[in-house]
Amino acid sequence: MKKTINSILRHLVLFLLAVVWLIPILWLFVTSFSGYKGINTSHFFPETWTLDNYAQLFLRSDSIVQYNRWFLNTLVIAIFTCLISTILVLMVSYTMSKLRFPGRKSLMSFSIILNMFPGVLSMIAIYFILKTFNLTNSHIGMIIVYSAGAGLGFLICKGFMDTISVSLSEAARLEGASEAKIFWKIIIPLSKPIIVYTVISSFLVPWGDFVFAKLMLNSGIATDWTVAIGLFNMLGKSMIAKYFSVFCAGGVVISVPISILFLIMQKFYVEGITGGSVKG
Amino acid sequence: MKKKVLATLLATAMTVGCLTGCGGGAAESPAAEAPAAEAPAAEEPAAEAPAADEAPEVEAPATAEEGTDPVANLIAATTGTVTLKVWASEEDQDLTNKLLDDFKAAYPDVTFDITLGAESESTAKDTVLTDVEAVADVYAFADDQINDLVNAGALQEVVANYTFDVVNENATGAVEAAAVDGKVYAYPMTADNGYFMFYDSSVFSESDVQSLEKMIEVADAAGKKIAMDISNGWYIYSFFQGAGLELKLNDDGLTNTCTWNGPGGTDVAQAILDLTASGVLVDMSDEDMATQIAEGNVVACVNGTWRAETAAEAWGDNYAATKLPTFKAGGKDCQMSSYSGYKLVGVNPHSANVGWAMLLAEFLTNEAAQTARFEARGLGPSNLAAASSDAVQANPAIAALAEQAAYATPQRVGGNFWSPAETLGQILASGNPDGTDLQELLDTTVEGITAPVE
Repeated sequence: MKKTINSILRHLVLFLLAVVWLIPILWLFVTSFSGYKGINTSHFFPETWTLDNYAQLFLRSDSIVQYNRWFLNTLVIAIFTCLISTILVLMVSYTMSKLRFPGRKSLMSFSIILNMFPGVLSMIAIYFILKTFNLTNSHIGMIIVYSAGAGLGFLICKGFMDTISVSLSEAARLEGASEAKIFWKIIIPLSKPIIVYTVISSFLVPWGDFVFAKLMLNSGIATDWTVAIGLFNMLGKSMIAKYFSVFCAGGVVISVPISILFLIMQKFYVEGITGGSVKG
Repeated sequence: MKKKVLATLLATAMTVGCLTGCGGGAAESPAAEAPAAEAPAAEEPAAEAPAADEAPEVEAPATAEEGTDPVANLIAATTGTVTLKVWASEEDQDLTNKLLDDFKAAYPDVTFDITLGAESESTAKDTVLTDVEAVADVYAFADDQINDLVNAGALQEVVANYTFDVVNENATGAVEAAAVDGKVYAYPMTADNGYFMFYDSSVFSESDVQSLEKMIEVADAAGKKIAMDISNGWYIYSFFQGAGLELKLNDDGLTNTCTWNGPGGTDVAQAILDLTASGVLVDMSDEDMATQIAEGNVVACVNGTWRAETAAEAWGDNYAATKLPTFKAGGKDCQMSSYSGYKLVGVNPHSANVGWAMLLAEFLTNEAAQTARFEARGLGPSNLAAASSDAVQANPAIAALAEQAAYATPQRVGGNFWSPAETLGQILASGNPDGTDLQELLDTTVEGITAPVE
């Protein structure tokens, strides 16, 4: 009896938490089907239902809302950033985990401390540096910004690599394998879970980033924007009355690719995080 | 050994890289601000620099007095493609696109590469001041930003005209709003950036809308609301200015003088408290107003021409607009004041094609363009000829704006005004929940508004 009451209480608390957490998302979702384009605060569920917001998003681009283009821009930036940062992270982790050289410890602590400073601190400097190279308003510039510092985030990946037995690489070295060969042929195949984790986390950075994108893409030309900037712009004072439900539709769509990626890689992802946390 | 040297070298390189990275940051940001700060002094050369590069273009209008056509000179002096970037507000995109096509068609001998970006007139200043060099060649902004833009060297002085006389063909108020120290820096585009009262004439009669107290009574009887964005300095100004209290920009162009805490100030604050206490006059943001008008809950609102469409749609034939009503402060009726504003088009002196940018700015603000803008979006023209047309005269919103003009003042106020005024509005609109002494509340507000700017 006491057990049942306990269980009911526990589930009630969980239910309440779930409601609090889900309501904004639910609101965003249902509003994306609203027939009224502006923001409607007097009804939770829309009065008229339509798919028109999605149609407008994909099929009827105007000079300020170019969702297809934004989606493509963001995807290109995210994919390239993801590739470059993953490679950088893996290489740095390998170096820190498997190689021994003087100053390794201090270099490691130094980079960890450096990585703790929020990236936005150097924002203005980065803007003007890139401006001298004419890389503002360019997607190449964005990719450079996002992936340049990626190597510093090696900590979790290094933790995982520490769990791979040293004897494997030692054996390979005795057989005459070079460091590159050990890295590509032995460590990488054994690090699949952490690679998946690194891929997802480095994909997410440019996918959801707003601050740097807003700073770098200042031409005001809609075709240059990423999804984050475009969606933000749709909430502007003059736009919100006509685009709010379209914005909601955009918000729903942007979460689709990343959700799919997560569902597929879920198994590895959990393994990656827990694997990386084991102390070597 | 070799490895060790290499590793040390790499480590040093990295450290140096980091240090220069940080150093760069420190050195870079003051450098970025420097042009803005020095701008007043450096303004003259900045404005002349393009002229030196493109002497034929900018001198062209001057020679016009000698009888040659400045536009023809400009075309003759142009070789290659003319690249221009234009910023217009989100709502103005379709119209501007059309005008840009017309512009290209008007000068068929020249190859243009014109791109149109979106930047709201109300936020143009923020974006422009971040990096003046990255700004569009031609951009639209609201007239209250002009001091800061000129100080930052972001506006090319209108030294000459190509196609029409900007100063004499626009309303005097608009030209004054586009001028700093007697020099014209921008092209007036609209003359309707102010607010007035929209109402549903099936609820209110014409005599009802003369006084805010009467309006509240009528709306209360009908079970409807009157909306006003009280927690916004732009709107709350109307009460205080209406009661004869003062808020103005000092000569330094940055700080404010404000007498809202002077004699009669507490009466106004009390009046706002009383008005909102009825629950009929509600503090509402512009976006909410749009919804509430459409839903039929709000039957009157203080807003500007940009809401005319929403109101006209919701109220149909009963859509009406007039000047702001009076309100009772300290026992006497005070006519609510308002801000009047203009939207302007400016040319960036850093443009590579200043001549063409100026010509395009003229094209976007000439009589035909202003008429088109009125027809497409109901915005009030600043151009005298366009404003005197019958269609414009018959527009209720613009007529209301003209009526309100007698009580309106141009918006010239320093940046420190907005936050304290917003806080004051919030406190008053929510009924002064902490029960703060009104004089004390106003003293704090004024202290914030008149605070010095570093």
